[in-house]
Amino acid sequence: MKRTPAALLLLAVWIAAIVAAAVFAQRHLAVSSDLRLFLPSATTPEQRLLLEGLGEGPAARILVVALEGATPEELADVSRALVAELRGDGAFLFIANGEVALDDFPDALLPYRFLLSTTLDSRRFDADFLTESLAARARDLASPAGLFLEPWLPRDPTLELANVLQRWQPTQEPRRELDVWFDRAGQRALLIAETRAAAFDPDGQRAALAKLDAALAAANAGGVRMTVSGAGAFSVLMEARTRAEAQRLGLVATLGMLVLLLVAYRGVGSVVLSALPLVSAGLAGLAAVAALFGSVHGVTLAFGFTLIGVAQDYPLHVLSHRRADRAPRDVARALWPTLATGVASTCIAYLAFLFSGVTGLQQLACFTIAGLAVAGLASRFVLPVLMDRAQRDFGDSAALALVWNTILRLPRPAWAAPALAIVCAAGIALAPRPLWENNLAGLTPVPADLLAVDQELRAELGTADLRYMLAVDAPDDEAALARVESLDPKLQQLVERGAIAGFDHAARYVPSAATQRARQSSLPDSASLLTALEAASAATPFRAGAFQPFVEDVERARMLEPLTLEQVRAAGLGERVDMLLRGQAGSRTALVTLSGVRDVEALSELAASSGATLLDLRQASESLVAQQRTRMLWSLAGAAVLLVAVVAFALRSRARVLRVLAPMAVTTLVVVAALQAAGISLTLFHLIALILVAGLGLDYALFFEHAADDAKEQRRTLHAVLVCSLSTLLVFALLATSSLPVLRAIGLPVAIGVCSNFFLALLLTRVRPQL
Amino acid sequence: MSARNATLVAIVTIAAWVPRALAAAPDAGALIAGLARPAPASVTFTEVRFSSLLREPLIVSGELGYLGAGGLERRVTAPYRETTVIRGDAVRIERDGEAPRSFALKRAPELKSFLSAFTALLAGDAAALARDFTVTASGEQDRWSLELTPNEEHARRRLRAIVINGSGAEPRCLATFDVREGGSVLLFGVGATEPLVAADVSLDGLLARCRAE
Repeated sequence: MKRTPAALLLLAVWIAAIVAAAVFAQRHLAVSSDLRLFLPSATTPEQRLLLEGLGEGPAARILVVALEGATPEELADVSRALVAELRGDGAFLFIANGEVALDDFPDALLPYRFLLSTTLDSRRFDADFLTESLAARARDLASPAGLFLEPWLPRDPTLELANVLQRWQPTQEPRRELDVWFDRAGQRALLIAETRAAAFDPDGQRAALAKLDAALAAANAGGVRMTVSGAGAFSVLMEARTRAEAQRLGLVATLGMLVLLLVAYRGVGSVVLSALPLVSAGLAGLAAVAALFGSVHGVTLAFGFTLIGVAQDYPLHVLSHRRADRAPRDVARALWPTLATGVASTCIAYLAFLFSGVTGLQQLACFTIAGLAVAGLASRFVLPVLMDRAQRDFGDSAALALVWNTILRLPRPAWAAPALAIVCAAGIALAPRPLWENNLAGLTPVPADLLAVDQELRAELGTADLRYMLAVDAPDDEAALARVESLDPKLQQLVERGAIAGFDHAARYVPSAATQRARQSSLPDSASLLTALEAASAATPFRAGAFQPFVEDVERARMLEPLTLEQVRAAGLGERVDMLLRGQAGSRTALVTLSGVRDVEALSELAASSGATLLDLRQASESLVAQQRTRMLWSLAGAAVLLVAVVAFALRSRARVLRVLAPMAVTTLVVVAALQAAGISLTLFHLIALILVAGLGLDYALFFEHAADDAKEQRRTLHAVLVCSLSTLLVFALLATSSLPVLRAIGLPVAIGVCSNFFLALLLTRVRPQL
Repeated sequence: MSARNATLVAIVTIAAWVPRALAAAPDAGALIAGLARPAPASVTFTEVRFSSLLREPLIVSGELGYLGAGGLERRVTAPYRETTVIRGDAVRIERDGEAPRSFALKRAPELKSFLSAFTALLAGDAAALARDFTVTASGEQDRWSLELTPNEEHARRRLRAIVINGSGAEPRCLATFDVREGGSVLLFGVGATEPLVAADVSLDGLLARCRAE
């Protein structure tokens, strides 16, 4: 590195620019985990619902919590403490442990209990029913439970409030001990927490989990252990695992890289200089995305940093071509046409992504183009100013000469490359396994034991199925509520047949106005009620006048307008209902969530016979992934055409264009064939890795092609490409060893591709010397 | 506090004190120590429950078992069968033909107070009793009365007093007065076996009987 004042000033300015870009990105860029940024727009109702509700749906937000490791009394206490602490907390829409506290019912809704409870669907408040109720209440009163029931009895001798609260529980009733939910064995206290953050929002989910932990720590005197399970908890866990493993591998890779570069260039200065363009590229990419989009998807970032890995090669080419008899500036100028062709063709190819219509891909293009352009320009115009003249010229290296000549002497029949391509293509075409993997979740698989616990807890609590739900469309809320209500008898039949364990929909919380009116019309007038109460009191030990508040409440309920969604929202209970009843004015969709789905066939019959739609969210997400890939492949095809055009424009000779493009084309086939042979179906991550492989292949071929027939220049190029490919191989081979499929999916193709690129570029771009 | 309740308390208190105003009050500690029963112990009971909602009191009878360590079993055998088991903080009620119900003792502070008094008495533990209640003893050896008033403000909001009457080492009655116009009287042993007719039972009459007047 040069230490002249001008060079140091430039270095300072450069570092300042990097810091400024970092600060800008930090200030203006929100990292979003909204997967929808990365998905195309929906075309089917299922997809629309999936996109609207993906990870935001009522089922995906549910965390199930199990407490164990203490006596049932202690567990119930901790369960209650958690609810007391977290109810009303911003992180949770809802937390429940089964405890039905009559006092929690909003006072404003109290008179409506007769319209919300199902009692009046089958019974009347006549002498028979009231006698039955009062006889039961007398026994309650004589029991120890009578002590806390007594204050409620004058107002609610038929326990309608308990009926309503029971119905408002978001689950089929699990075992109840000490007022709170337990598993069947009575060993674990169970709770349900519905987060405000969507399932795919790891930050929001992490905050919610931290709140749970803090509440547990505050409540836990003994050794109560907590298990939190659910889509959100898994997304946090998998993100942390992926991050930890990526960091660990990244650290090893960085150390390996440093050693490699120190060995290759014998100087700390060179290593520092080689890092600057890549760092600049990353920050320029971030700043560009921040300026144009404001937010960036986490996946875009991961893909983006993978793709700009190619920028690491740019300074290495300049460093390897240094020589004693020429100023670094002249070296860079001589390399520039080749470097610029590589940078420009890659950048222009990414332009195709800008027209993909998928925000995530547009961000990816923006990030990569800005990054690569900055890295290329920095390597050409800034780096040479900071570089010293070479102490040693790699063109003089005998070892490199030996390697070069050995490779060149390898036989390379003209038919070999086409034959390799054909074999690979045939292998890909004939492979038995599907070429594409549509289940993106397979890339971050949740450990099987955790999944088993999750399923068990969900079965205990009867929480909603994550895959299937029914949807009913209607022009307005009232019609939507009436339609889901009309499904009740059929759904109940399915429950009795064991096809499903339970169901939930908005009308369970707010019945349609028609149903409320029907219940209202069966409420007796005061005179009849008093007569019935007198008869019931006479048959039981109660005083006739004891239930005057009940009589007044019934009379008031007879005059009420049916309860509306607005009133429920005003009472603070709207969020659950809004989750199950969505859409805009004029087109509302009511959802029926299902639990314990065992017979999908029966569900689709029900849907077909009642005009509802059975949604299969997994199928919808797979079709979305497939659509997204189709778009991406079209973008890639466009990119390939642009790339060929740019290379053709730069090289202006059909033979040269063919020599430069052949290695990367054949390598792509080799990598896909190798993955297929290894039994791996391709995902989006593989596709991104393949793009990187193609970019690297193009650069290697361009530089080998550029080296012409000057022996020293050939050795310098060999040195550059060797360092480039070894460093890339090191990083990605490490990723390929990861235990996490998502990291392997990026590492393995690039590791294979770099080797293939290196040899194919060397063999195909060089004409065999005449010996 | 209603006028009626004030009267009740006055009757209980005055009845306990006035006739023996000149006699020395029994020593509460010795009296309580004498009540100790080794666990498991059980006793037949009749409970008469009074409430402002009721035309006539509810009467159930059965067996009350002390399980030790704060555990209590209340087995109702007439006029219907019902079993309540209290262990730790859990109350579980099973009634013929109905799903069992369970709730936490915290939901019923009256019951919690009752339980702590009851178990402290069965353990003969005067110190434990004094932690939760202000204890006033009156009467003499064969006709004593203990009045317990909760120390804690929270418990006082639900339970006014517990009055135990007995003779020698035998408790005869345990009356619980809640802050509403209600309460219950538990009759033990011999007193519990005499049949009661709800229409004929009044709280005052029952209390007088407890005091063996």
